[in-house]
Amino acid sequence: MSSEELKQEIRSALDNTTLARTLGTFCKTYPARRENSYKGVDFEAVREQIKTVKSYAADHVDELLPQFVENCEKRGGHVFVAKSTEEAMEYIRQVVKEKGVKSIVKSKSMASEELHFNKTLTEDGVLVQETDLGEFIIALEGNTPVHMVMPALHLNKEEVADLFTDYTKEKNEPIIAEEVKTARKVMRERFIKADMGVSGANVAVAETGTVFTMTNEGNGRMVGTLPKIHLYIFGIEKLVKSFSDARHIFKALPRNGTAQRITAYISMYTGATEVVTDKEADTKEKKEFYAVILDDPGRRQILAEPEFRQIFDCIRCGACLDVCPAFALVGGHVFGSKVYTGGIGTLLTHFLVSPERADEIQGICLQCGRCKEVCGGGLQIPEMIMKIREKDMENHPNAVKKFALDAVTDRKLFHSLLRIAAVAQEPFAKGQPFIRHLPMFLSGLTEGRSLPNVAQVPFRDIFPTIRQNVPNPKGTIAIFTGCLLDFVYTDIARDVILDLNSIGYLVDMPMGQACCGCPASNMGDVENARKEAEINIEAMNAEKYDYIVSACPSCTHQLRQYPKFFEEGTPMHERAVTLAEKSFDFCKLFYDLGGCADEGDGKDVTVTYHDSCHLCRSLHVTNEQRELLKHTKGVEFVEMEDHDNCCGFGGSYSVLYPEISAPILEKKIGNIMNTSADVVAVDCPGCLMQIQGGLDAHGVENIKVKHTATILAEKRGLI
Amino acid sequence: MNKITDELYERFKTNLESVNGTCVRASKADLGKAVAGIFTEAGIPDACVVETPLMKEGGVIEALESAGIRVCTDHIRLNAETVKGGVSENQYGIADLGTLVQGRDVIDERIVATMSEYYIGIVKGSTIVPEYDDMFDLLSALPEIPGFVGFISGPSRTADIECVSTVGVHGPLRLAAVVVDDE
Repeated sequence: MSSEELKQEIRSALDNTTLARTLGTFCKTYPARRENSYKGVDFEAVREQIKTVKSYAADHVDELLPQFVENCEKRGGHVFVAKSTEEAMEYIRQVVKEKGVKSIVKSKSMASEELHFNKTLTEDGVLVQETDLGEFIIALEGNTPVHMVMPALHLNKEEVADLFTDYTKEKNEPIIAEEVKTARKVMRERFIKADMGVSGANVAVAETGTVFTMTNEGNGRMVGTLPKIHLYIFGIEKLVKSFSDARHIFKALPRNGTAQRITAYISMYTGATEVVTDKEADTKEKKEFYAVILDDPGRRQILAEPEFRQIFDCIRCGACLDVCPAFALVGGHVFGSKVYTGGIGTLLTHFLVSPERADEIQGICLQCGRCKEVCGGGLQIPEMIMKIREKDMENHPNAVKKFALDAVTDRKLFHSLLRIAAVAQEPFAKGQPFIRHLPMFLSGLTEGRSLPNVAQVPFRDIFPTIRQNVPNPKGTIAIFTGCLLDFVYTDIARDVILDLNSIGYLVDMPMGQACCGCPASNMGDVENARKEAEINIEAMNAEKYDYIVSACPSCTHQLRQYPKFFEEGTPMHERAVTLAEKSFDFCKLFYDLGGCADEGDGKDVTVTYHDSCHLCRSLHVTNEQRELLKHTKGVEFVEMEDHDNCCGFGGSYSVLYPEISAPILEKKIGNIMNTSADVVAVDCPGCLMQIQGGLDAHGVENIKVKHTATILAEKRGLI
Repeated sequence: MNKITDELYERFKTNLESVNGTCVRASKADLGKAVAGIFTEAGIPDACVVETPLMKEGGVIEALESAGIRVCTDHIRLNAETVKGGVSENQYGIADLGTLVQGRDVIDERIVATMSEYYIGIVKGSTIVPEYDDMFDLLSALPEIPGFVGFISGPSRTADIECVSTVGVHGPLRLAAVVVDDE
């Protein structure tokens, strides 16, 4: 599929008003509901335990798997370990054929989707019924799940009523309670008559041979209670060692999945349980219990790759979908494959469904890191998606992107381009603070916002003219400006210097510095990112300074990543570590060096704050900047709703996916306007550009966006 | 095991109510009356009952029949297809979640708790543990995990259409727990 086709998918998802309403509302209310469900439960401790039991299981899968087989069989189950999805499906077809199964009722099983279970058996003439309400609806629609936990969010009650009317040949009213009754009636008939029930497992316990299934609707209980044959399908990643280990997973799964403290049902089957084999005679016997376990090459590949092994810690709660700003807009039909959706879905798709599809959708990830905060297994989802991006870039280098990144890495060329841009944009700027149509390489970026001018004089030329009056300096700090401060927001760089001077530190600017490499990293271009790291390690010469300050959290984050580009033990690695350890974002460094003081002009100004993704979720700085602002005389501080939600900038993201970036920005602008603040404080020039552009596009002139360094310099009379 | 304290009972009740279930407390002698009272009030005309010694002692079947409710005690799988009510005993409870726990492999008990429109789960107060973790500790310490263990927390529910929470899908539409004071 071309990127144009993906863009078409994005557009049609954005046009789906039901999806926008239901998914939008769900995602908006989810964080508070989720938090509420965790009252009295320490989430961090729970996920730490999940990680412990799941990673233990991954490390010992070759012991746990035969143990499960033995224990389940000891209790009367039949277990088949399938080395491929094809082998699994063939085994199931044989069982179905031998046992004369004519109809099957299924509760949710994502692993069965990997096997194309429904399609294959339907073609064999078997009646296969999805019984989960959402799955049933999308099966009628002939669609795939839009969300891992709530598969039919893209349809409204009117559409569901139409689907039910077609299916039952009776008029169904668009009343949700009535539709649920219809589903109960239709499905009850199927449950009663089915020859086989099929379940997916949330957990499989090796020591006891027990499988766990969590449901709300009761369909999971039905498929395990009524049919004489019961088949479980799941992958080796569902194994845990002990029955006791399983508990941790069910503490997080309902809370993370649907913000419930517990679902209506958790069912645990150990081997073949009792079933009624002849209801007229009231005969009871042990049921025929089968477990098909997928031990396919895709799962083994996950285990074999150290960077991706943690995928086995996933509990499939779907929380990463629910907090993802991009997912909230486009849903899982776009950000997903036919089986798995969202951030984790991209990773599972890569290994288990279609690497090609994963390559297409990985770019939808903003790298904002919100998913990591809520992930039940503590997975580093954005980092793993980045690895897939890097692989994709390596295997399918995109000529245009590559040219742009090569140009950025060539510092002199890039800086020359920016200097030319400063002149060439002049006819377009028309003396306005923002331009709506951009020249050269910045063209095509103006969906829902405008962009700032390139500075007439870059900061590197301004720096020597700044008079730093610091008698008896406490130390010397090197400033890493990054591209935006050097070539666009030169005033912020000046303000950082004046702020630091005011608390007794001299600031130097090493002139050989180049782009930090964050754009290259974001696009998966490791080669250019490493080159840029080399240039900056040489140029910054961190050994010479007390600290390195940056006023762009993305740059700070990138500087801190430098050690990973070099082999441990090499001189370059050692220098990278030194640079990384000395690098701080402005507000953190300024605060730590004693910059927080009750100073200011006392003039009233209401300030709200937008957290940049890198600052709050990579660098974990959320308090210092607020303290600095709150202590500034005259500042009244107000929080905006969803203050740590991404603004949609995401570096190159807003260029690659303006369709998604623009509505994310819209939400941010709405939240800002609701605060009645005069100023939006930010610590990231990228966010500043994005938000100021959004306000400008809305014609909002009375709200200014300012860097924390600028607010402090202004209020303290330094400029 | 000790008799359930008032505090623990209240905790169980509050948490069960928070997931749309209801809860009453009864002495052994009043068990039948409590069960019949719930079905009578709800207008349930018939019920599948899987009797246990506790239920026998509490006169559940007699009380239901005296209240004019038709009772089925056999051919549960067949009868549950048409009968509205279901009554069975649960082995444990979890106060912190309002959860009833079926902890043994008796198919008829699973059928009534799954297929009925109105399910009444009876549980001895002494078998209700305070926390979820206590339940896992208890089950893990059993010499053998029962073939079936089922946690039931309120009636069945869904939010699959437009995220609107709706009670009563494939499982019971209503659920009541009767906590029996035992010593």
